[in-house]
Amino acid sequence: MSLPSYYEFFNPVKIASGKKALDNLPYELNQLNVQRPLIVTDRGVVEAGLVQVATNAFAGSGITLGGIYDDVPPDSSSEVVKSVARVYQQNECDGLIAVGGGSPIDTAKGVNILVSEKSDDLLKFAGHDVLRRPLNPLIVIPTTAGTGSEVTYVAVIADLERNLKMSFTSAHLYPRLAILDPRMTLTMPPKITAATGMDALSHAMEAVTCLQRNPVSDAFAMAAIELIRDNLIKVVEQGRDIESRLAMANAACLAGAAFSNSMVGLVHALGHATGAVARVPHGVAMSIFLPYVFEYNLEKTEPDMARLLLPFGGSEEYVKTPTGHRARRTIELIRALRQKLFDLCALPRTLKEAGVSRDKLEIIAQKATNDGSLTFNPVEADCEDALLLLKEAYE
Amino acid sequence: MTKTYMPIRPGYKRFKTLVVKTVLHILGRSFHSASKLDPDIKSEIADWEEGFRFMMKVYPQGPRMSVEKRKGILKFRGFRPESADLIITFKSLESAFLLFTAQCGTCQGFPESRFIVNGDVSRAMSLTRCLNMLQAYLFPSVISRLILKRLPPMPWYKQLIRLYIYLLGLPLGL
Repeated sequence: MSLPSYYEFFNPVKIASGKKALDNLPYELNQLNVQRPLIVTDRGVVEAGLVQVATNAFAGSGITLGGIYDDVPPDSSSEVVKSVARVYQQNECDGLIAVGGGSPIDTAKGVNILVSEKSDDLLKFAGHDVLRRPLNPLIVIPTTAGTGSEVTYVAVIADLERNLKMSFTSAHLYPRLAILDPRMTLTMPPKITAATGMDALSHAMEAVTCLQRNPVSDAFAMAAIELIRDNLIKVVEQGRDIESRLAMANAACLAGAAFSNSMVGLVHALGHATGAVARVPHGVAMSIFLPYVFEYNLEKTEPDMARLLLPFGGSEEYVKTPTGHRARRTIELIRALRQKLFDLCALPRTLKEAGVSRDKLEIIAQKATNDGSLTFNPVEADCEDALLLLKEAYE
Repeated sequence: MTKTYMPIRPGYKRFKTLVVKTVLHILGRSFHSASKLDPDIKSEIADWEEGFRFMMKVYPQGPRMSVEKRKGILKFRGFRPESADLIITFKSLESAFLLFTAQCGTCQGFPESRFIVNGDVSRAMSLTRCLNMLQAYLFPSVISRLILKRLPPMPWYKQLIRLYIYLLGLPLGL
């Protein structure tokens, strides 16, 4: 790869990964000087028995939990953040533990802003680099293997009153610790496992092919792709396979660290818009758009797509494919993986299979062209281009 | 003999500051002219609310300029320090110089973190599309091709708009 003329890479998150990793939580909290943590989670995580796994880790530790806020809705809002912050203050907590997927993690990041800045107005801190000082300790325990939010510096929270989505990006938003314990993802159903795995794959592959790529994010992304190649099908087939669950949790985390620094492109722009307009789950949308966008981008990304064949197809596949065909072969293998996931758990391959009605394509295209991810896509895409891609991906 | 360590007052990059300020002035005036004549820019800013203001500035105390939508067109407001709905901050004078002298395009400058954007992202995307069109007017196609991901089409009437910007927009602010 050619070195960018300038790049930045930052990731200060300590990663604790492995069997029983969660049981080191009291030690890690002590290292962070946290005596009274508040757990932020949702009902689904509680009902799956995952919060119990986390609280069991405190047995005999002498640490008092400041509380468990388990009412985070699927789409976090500033009202929820305020309500969690009140519990944090009333119970005199001094740190946060987010247990769950994107929503509890983003909520905890938002709560951390309010309680650290001693404010009740989140909007004051929305935007890029608005936060000026370190926040209180935040520990993240992901229960899905896809978003990579445990190692990103972003939070998106809706302000229902003002009808807008606030985006917060700051180096101070990085959690202090991410705990990857395979017990936390064991109960994920096959279809969600497949969709979140494809989300991680899209993070890693866009990290390598988009404009802000750099050698450090490449290293993270390539490692993530290898893990996904070896483990995604296994975890969909055998959900209780602890080794593969841990590998996928690591893949998502590595891909998160990669894309948090290299950003993502058109696959995500289309995915965000499809999610917003037609409520298609993010991972499903990523899986649908990956091959179409990679074909569209090929004129500019041919060498990078060819490089992806090594981690994604394996060394044998790489060697036996002639140099000029490697990029296309990578895309063929992505299609083959999608087909396999469709056969195993009916993960949609087209927008039609995902339940999107054709009359929504135009509005999705318009929305996608206003998505910030588009800036990082190597090939320009206007509304017409986006619509063309959506039509291709429709059926 | 004891060595003394004196405080140092950093110098001032007069030439680069002048270049950046000049380009900001050119951009401000061409936003004004193009928003009156270019149908693509007109339709792009149609959704922007009246009074919407954006600013470009160089961190920490470098040149700055702002543009505001008034009566449907973009008015150049000059170099005064003021608040804005959308702010593009170049991280250094050198970064702004690179971009403003076409050594690095917007499509490369953003991924290289040469500047940051504060404000509504979808509005920033809309502004980027306007900026791309503006760059296509201001630079000859041989340069635009290098700094833009895709060259916008330049039919005959856009060549006339380009002429207007060069002959009346930039010198007279029309």
